[in-house]
Amino acid sequence: MIVAEQKPLEEIRRMTAPYERILILGCGTCMTVCDAGGEREVSFLHNALRLAQAKSSGGIHTFSEYTLKRQCDLEFMDLLVDRVGDVDAILSLGCGIGVQAVAERFPDIPVLPGVNTSFMGMAKEWGIWDERCAACGDCILEETGGICPITRCTKGILNGPCAGTKNGKCEANKDMDCAWVLIYKHLERLQQLEKMRRYYPPRNFRAIPRPKRIVGKASIDVGEADG
Amino acid sequence: MANSLFEEKLNSGEFLVTTEVGPPKGADISEMVHHVDLLKDKVDAINITDHQSSVMRFPSLGGCLLVKERGGEPVLQVTCRDRNRLALQADLLLAYSRGISNVLCLTGDSVDVGDHKEAKPVFDLDSVQLLKMIKTMESGKDMGATDLKGAPKFCVGASVHPEADFIEPQLIKFEKKVSAGAQFFQTQGIFDLRCLSRFMQYASQFNVKILAGIIVLASARMARYMNDNVPGIIVPQTTIDELASAEKGKGLQKGIDIAVRLIKAIREENLCHGVHIMAVGNEKTVPDILEAAQLAGAYP
Amino acid sequence: MYSTRDNNIKAYQASQVKEAFYGHTFTPPCQAACPLHMNISEYVDLVAQGKVMEALQIIRDGNPFPSICAYVCTHPCEDACRRGQVEKPIAIRALKRFAVEFGGDRMIQTEAEATQIEKVAIVGSGPAGLACAYYLRKLGYSVTIFEAYSELGGMLRVGIPQYRLPREVLDTEVQRLTQMGVEIRTNTRVVSLDLVLDMGYKAIFITIGAHQSLRMGIEGEESLGVIDGATFLREVNLGLKPPLEERVAVVGGGNVAIDAARTALRLGAHKVNILYRRSQAEMPADPAEVEQALEEGVEILFLVAPTRIKRGNGRLSVTCIRMELGEPDASGRRQSVPIKDSAFTKQIDILITAIGQAPQSPGDFHLRIGRGSTIQVDPVTLTTNRNGVFAGGDAVTGPATVTQALASGRQAAFRIDDYLQHRYPLVLKEARETLAGDLLPKTIEMIRKVERLEPPLLPPEARAKEFRPVELIYNWEAAINEARRCLRCGMGVEILFQDRCATCLTCLRVCPYHVPYLDDRGTIQIPADQCQACGICVAECPAKAIVLRKPYERQQVTAELDHALKSAAESKFKPLIIGFCCQYGLFGTGTLANMWRKAEAGIWIVPVLCIAKVEDSHILRAFEMGAEGVFIAGCGEQCAREDTTFWIRQRVEKVRKTLTQIGLEPERLQTFILGTNEDPATEMDRFAERIGGFYLASLIMQEVKS
Repeated sequence: MIVAEQKPLEEIRRMTAPYERILILGCGTCMTVCDAGGEREVSFLHNALRLAQAKSSGGIHTFSEYTLKRQCDLEFMDLLVDRVGDVDAILSLGCGIGVQAVAERFPDIPVLPGVNTSFMGMAKEWGIWDERCAACGDCILEETGGICPITRCTKGILNGPCAGTKNGKCEANKDMDCAWVLIYKHLERLQQLEKMRRYYPPRNFRAIPRPKRIVGKASIDVGEADG
Repeated sequence: MANSLFEEKLNSGEFLVTTEVGPPKGADISEMVHHVDLLKDKVDAINITDHQSSVMRFPSLGGCLLVKERGGEPVLQVTCRDRNRLALQADLLLAYSRGISNVLCLTGDSVDVGDHKEAKPVFDLDSVQLLKMIKTMESGKDMGATDLKGAPKFCVGASVHPEADFIEPQLIKFEKKVSAGAQFFQTQGIFDLRCLSRFMQYASQFNVKILAGIIVLASARMARYMNDNVPGIIVPQTTIDELASAEKGKGLQKGIDIAVRLIKAIREENLCHGVHIMAVGNEKTVPDILEAAQLAGAYP
Repeated sequence: MYSTRDNNIKAYQASQVKEAFYGHTFTPPCQAACPLHMNISEYVDLVAQGKVMEALQIIRDGNPFPSICAYVCTHPCEDACRRGQVEKPIAIRALKRFAVEFGGDRMIQTEAEATQIEKVAIVGSGPAGLACAYYLRKLGYSVTIFEAYSELGGMLRVGIPQYRLPREVLDTEVQRLTQMGVEIRTNTRVVSLDLVLDMGYKAIFITIGAHQSLRMGIEGEESLGVIDGATFLREVNLGLKPPLEERVAVVGGGNVAIDAARTALRLGAHKVNILYRRSQAEMPADPAEVEQALEEGVEILFLVAPTRIKRGNGRLSVTCIRMELGEPDASGRRQSVPIKDSAFTKQIDILITAIGQAPQSPGDFHLRIGRGSTIQVDPVTLTTNRNGVFAGGDAVTGPATVTQALASGRQAAFRIDDYLQHRYPLVLKEARETLAGDLLPKTIEMIRKVERLEPPLLPPEARAKEFRPVELIYNWEAAINEARRCLRCGMGVEILFQDRCATCLTCLRVCPYHVPYLDDRGTIQIPADQCQACGICVAECPAKAIVLRKPYERQQVTAELDHALKSAAESKFKPLIIGFCCQYGLFGTGTLANMWRKAEAGIWIVPVLCIAKVEDSHILRAFEMGAEGVFIAGCGEQCAREDTTFWIRQRVEKVRKTLTQIGLEPERLQTFILGTNEDPATEMDRFAERIGGFYLASLIMQEVKS
């Protein structure tokens, strides 16, 4: 899941200041799950913006709210056509992908990002999310006991822990587990420590050129006969 | 045929003494020059640190050039934190061309512990890959497998942490560094000789030289601070207590006493192949330590 | 054409949504167990809120004579109550008693007028007859009750002792019928139904009860000094005081046996024994009554049965035999088997037999009689073999409870109405599903244990000599605390908007009772039979996909808030402070009133059903609408669950962060939790004072600006 956090209200107010009629647009998928931009956060932000306006005296904004099931596909945007006719800006609580999709579909309306898209991860428990994948495009989790050193080691190193690990924690953040200590323990449990003894050459940072694209469909010439 | 004077000494079987000098934060290098001059004839090699603790400073390479200029034997510390593989190879070509042949390969501290926390951490390579990269260069190729016009030759070292609280993964990494071509190791700070001796029992099977890292602590407060903030340092409580027992203003002297005691014991018990003294800002005390440990002047 | 179809589809979809939104609560087990199907959870909840009048209204909607039930109901609801799986059931009957007494049920007038031309006769004035008369009269019929005895009430009058049902209670109910215009003919024994029909009655309801005691069938049963329980109780209740000698024995194990024994004690019998052929576990009598009888000094000889009675010297010599329990019979009750050579003789003065009763229907009624002399009826329509003649109550079922009789009378009224209006008699279908399933151990584990509060009783020594009601009434606080134990079965949450649910697992993570789970298909399920309706997941759901099955709860907070804001706008008190307060512990018991009355005026309270239901948006809205300060007051240790405070503090922190960003002081939002704040009243004063300060400062700022 993509994890994000809502931008500070001050920043959102600064962004929205020039516009009169603003649609607050939530996303029903990742942004709902990570508590950054689902139905409830849309309402909360709506309330907060209205309160801010009431307290600052001199606001002229009118807000509306709507939550799409997903903002990251253009077809969903069709559901917005009737709702954006008279808005001056869309405040999207979708991730960076959602914001761009909205902007692509409605090129005449300014789209403002309401969240900071942070990482791909999962909930550790209620209210705490941890990064798990860096989308490096060259997965080695089979070698590392299902624990990603690229994401979970602050240095992303491949050949074992640095000397900074202490009490199983990372030198960069004492609340974070040292990925390599976890990997060692996991491989030991699986009796696969030889995987850790293996030398891993420098990473290939050119898995796919950026911006990346995956073509899942085969390219088929129309009219070509099978076999 | 040795690649450097230091490599020659490594192979001689003598008890080795190295130390390190931290470059200044700023363009005024007079104090570093003073320290280099003070130490160059008393030790076998001087390490120049590479933005130690991720704090931006005068570069290691520049410091090594200076040591060379003043007639000393430098060890270039190279970390992977700030340079990708292009920059690392280029720096090494420069170093070799200017007669700097000893390299200590390190991964480097996290950017988060330093004074430029928002910098992009590079870590294109890790320490093992860096060692391998040097072997590749020595073979006449760069990492892109293109022929080099003139291959460098180095004496390469790495670090190891015999007092890590979870030693097994560290040993695996140590072996990887040995396989990747490390000839010598300068360890993280040693305080408990039993740890060193256990480590040596294991490490002696490899054909590498181990130089025990000796940190000169100036006070109990400094020890605690380093425990909390400097990666890879674990000062045991007994050492902190001993420092705390010093009279006011005599903390550094106590730190020197501890360092001397450790060095003497290592040498007398023949625990490892040498010591690497890290005075962390008190480089001027190193000659006294060497004298007290009866190492001064032992090697011209 | 297509557009019409589209519109239809849209209309249909809209109606589906509406349907989904309403009526999706479940019938709680207590209600399903009640013969009258009373909305128990509703009135218990209202008592918990201290809303006694509203609670009484709900009770009256479901029961024609709640005061009677409040005294004598055998409360099958309590046997079904799922709180019993946690510790003990809610004391539902005692709470009803509290509501009818404190709500002033006996003051309530009932009116009805004749709108139908048909007349209906009711033969018998027991609970079934009274209820039937009540409802038929409400439906507008002219109703006449024929009663053989001098006073109305049937078994209520002649069977149940006064210490269980005071006669003034019964009299009030009877008067209510008179007020409504029901014609009453006492001392009138109906001997022929044809005569009644000739009098112009279009329908007759036979409810003559089961007053005939069963015979033991042993030698000497006809002796002087042997009396049957029904006759004994009737004589006492109608004012005859049978002379009671020293020693009395009662044979039987049902409620009549217990009533007879306790009545005998009150009439001065020196020693009262009950002889019962099985053990205490098999006794059909209400265990609480048995307990009270024992307290009063009645002795029960278990596994003993009389075999022969002999009278001599003005005394009875009763030969008894000891029994043991054998194999269970068809009904599952263990048979009692005589033990050989265990006979012994007991010397007593009076023997009361109470081994069961049966109806006795006059042969001239020409009704078809079934097993146990009961009148045979169609159980759905209560019609007998004779056209226009209906029957119900004990006469049909054999001895049963008052509440069953009331239900039977009510059913008869509606069925007679159907008959007179020529409607097809449809069985009333329960629109809602009944909540089935026991609480899981993991759910029970997380429910805070609160022991049942029994209503106070007269001390045994005081009650054994007189006929005053044994059970006293709860005081206000005890009633509220007891009512708060209700688990609110069937009111739980549901994922109403499955299409919005992102399966984020928030509900699963925040539920204090670990109720939500993932099914095999990875869909989140919130089983209604486990949900405790705390509402935490409703407020935390990031997709707003979950609602409480009682939909007004979310709306209620909003509505109450709007009400408070409106009232505040009309008032001159400044600054405005809004307080969201738990209306059970704080409001109900009056703690809150004491707390905030001391504080300065300008505080407006929004009562909520547990502060866990206050959402962050509600708080923001209060500020937006002009509140200078907002506080949330919870009942702390009295709360039904441990987690409420944690969640409300989470929300408060979130809103405070937002307030800070808007430029409002975060101290404007405060939480008061009973039991954690040192002295809530002082803290509240300090809070009001601080808000006053903020208000003053803002006024000055405005001055400066202008």
